[in-house]
Amino acid sequence: MSSRTTISRITAIGGLSTAVLLAATACGAGGPAATSGSAGTSTVNVLVEAGGHAELTGVAEQCKKETGISANFVELPYDGMFNRLSSEFSSGNVSFDVAALDSVWLPSFKDAVQPIDELFTDEAKKDIFPALVKEANVDGHFIGLPAWTNAEIILYRKDLFEDAKNKADFKTKYGYDLAAPTTWKQYQDISEFFTKDGMYGTDVKGGVETEWLAHVLQAGSPMVLDGDKVVIDNAAHKEALDFYVGLAKSAPSGAAQVDWAAAQNLFNQGKTAMTRFWAHAYRQIPKDSPVAGKVGAAPMIAGSAGVGAVPGPWYLTVPKATKNTDAAKKFVKCAYDYNDKGIESSLGLASRISAFEKYQDKPGYESFKPLIETLNGTATATRPGTEKWQQIVDTVLVPMLQKAVAGGDSATLLADAKKQIEDLLK
Amino acid sequence: MRVAERTKPDHGNAVATAAQPVLQTTARGSSRRRRGVNREGLEAGRRSTRTLLWILLAAAMVLYGFPFLYLLFTSFKTPIDTIAVPPTILPREWTLENYANALGRNGVLASFINSIQTAIISTVLSLVLAVPAAYGITRYQTLSGRIFIMAALVTRMVPPVAIGIPLASMMAAVGLSDTPIALSIAHTTISLPLSIWLMSSFFEAVPKDLEEAATVDGCSRLGALWRVVIPVVSGGIAVTAIFAFLASWNEFLFALLMTAIRSQTTPVVIANFQTQFGLDWGSMTALAAVYSIPVILLTLLLQRKIVAGMTLGAVKG
Repeated sequence: MSSRTTISRITAIGGLSTAVLLAATACGAGGPAATSGSAGTSTVNVLVEAGGHAELTGVAEQCKKETGISANFVELPYDGMFNRLSSEFSSGNVSFDVAALDSVWLPSFKDAVQPIDELFTDEAKKDIFPALVKEANVDGHFIGLPAWTNAEIILYRKDLFEDAKNKADFKTKYGYDLAAPTTWKQYQDISEFFTKDGMYGTDVKGGVETEWLAHVLQAGSPMVLDGDKVVIDNAAHKEALDFYVGLAKSAPSGAAQVDWAAAQNLFNQGKTAMTRFWAHAYRQIPKDSPVAGKVGAAPMIAGSAGVGAVPGPWYLTVPKATKNTDAAKKFVKCAYDYNDKGIESSLGLASRISAFEKYQDKPGYESFKPLIETLNGTATATRPGTEKWQQIVDTVLVPMLQKAVAGGDSATLLADAKKQIEDLLK
Repeated sequence: MRVAERTKPDHGNAVATAAQPVLQTTARGSSRRRRGVNREGLEAGRRSTRTLLWILLAAAMVLYGFPFLYLLFTSFKTPIDTIAVPPTILPREWTLENYANALGRNGVLASFINSIQTAIISTVLSLVLAVPAAYGITRYQTLSGRIFIMAALVTRMVPPVAIGIPLASMMAAVGLSDTPIALSIAHTTISLPLSIWLMSSFFEAVPKDLEEAATVDGCSRLGALWRVVIPVVSGGIAVTAIFAFLASWNEFLFALLMTAIRSQTTPVVIANFQTQFGLDWGSMTALAAVYSIPVILLTLLLQRKIVAGMTLGAVKG
């Protein structure tokens, strides 16, 4: 009897709940029923990676004031964003009017987004870093406006470098003054010098490819591909790989597994004296870190071809499938006009040279001058414009680097990598 | 009683008059001691077995519970503590900052409501479809029923990512994009096969005689199901409901592909703490800890039904 009563109650409550929920279903709890892609509305839905949301918040507020266009942000984790974009672009029915795309995705989605040539005026092209202007142009049209960009610079422990004993000991051992490195030989020496007493001079990241590729650029070679030709086995790639692996003796063990997060943790914990890292990390050192307030920043080191790095920009694009093109383009223009608003966010990045320059002399933004110098570097170049690039990185470059830092023969590994990449590109 | 008779003194033997009581006492004492030793040995054996079982149980609990405890402790750590090398289990300094950050983030409350909505709709849909399906399959024992239940299992063998994108496109095509109902339907595709299988095993455990008795008393087939069988398997329904609820509550992939502004659920919001520019461990673990509370409460609330449901399946045959 009691079971029956319980069942009846559960059924009644369940039925009632379902009815209420189904009634409420027309609009979820996430906000107003902002119909995605509705023609002529003054609200745009902006798809953005979770870390980039803060970058555009200030822009959105300013855009609302100036143009009356408001933005709803759809935040997604980086790992799932490519799948989501593929799904919506292939269905031809998109839930967003503006999408922030990682630069490596531009070639994959070039046919799904609209040209925005009118936003790339001569003035704009002068105020955006040259490598980004080049990358934004796909098949003769500009398809994405860089909203923010990043590059690897050198972060070092100022307190250790300024320590009198360290300075004296270093000069005695190497014959020159201890200072932020400007050559790779200096970087090697300093790394070796600080590798003692449970500390390491630097890190070697076997889990990421951009640092090794930066060395390749500094040596004057294109990365991996020269047009359609795979050049990963040339002398520049081998020299860069040998140098990269050689630093492992001054780095924590297990380099094969070290990625961005691990390297950042090691530096913020005070375990490494120097790191080559994305510039945003300078402003993201936790206040309770033992290295807080003790870090200096320097540009990426030059090779024979000059300063070279692989930038990490994100581009704002307007899908062809949106029905709200005008408002979407206005929002993208706002993102250019009020680009410096991103600098005041937690991530603290922008894409316009003038925006970085506006802040470069302010306290707390010491990383900006090295970042500008690195992004303007003669050898700085974006990733090859192939839609297979991410696949090449995940299945060939990173596994090859991991084998190399674990002691593999560089020439053999590069030859194998060449064959694998050629197979992928067939 | 028999033991007492065997040890009863022989009063007819005059020679042993003086010594007998002493001998008898000694024999009784020795026998008692032997029995006592045996009993103590048994008790000691039982105690050590019980201790061993408790140790094994504690080890299993630690093994299963440690990740959650670590998550809980991490949620109270300061930013630098969360990334300590080597990691520490307990926070060096306790802080609620992560909870303030996580709960203060835009859209968290809305995502909770969306998760609850989606999980309840999906659970109700699963039960409404699974209970009659499982009942029909177990009671009528037809070939088509057997094929159907196997086919239901096959759907579980397809990786969700393979059907995620087509499902998202279908929902968009019928205008259900970014709604809790679309996500609930998608989640039902995950929980329904499991629900049918679970409910089938529970229905099989109910003797047919019960229904026949109800029919003899004037119940229709449906009446017997509603008045007799369903109350008997209510524990099983609770178990199935919990599994269906959990499947939806924790689901990430479909939520990632099918939700945007209006219906984004909390697992996606939790994942958003990992960005291309860093990982906010503290806030991520704080939100994950809060998100696990409703499930823990639900499990405690339905604990008796769950135990009843689990034993219902066990007594069959």
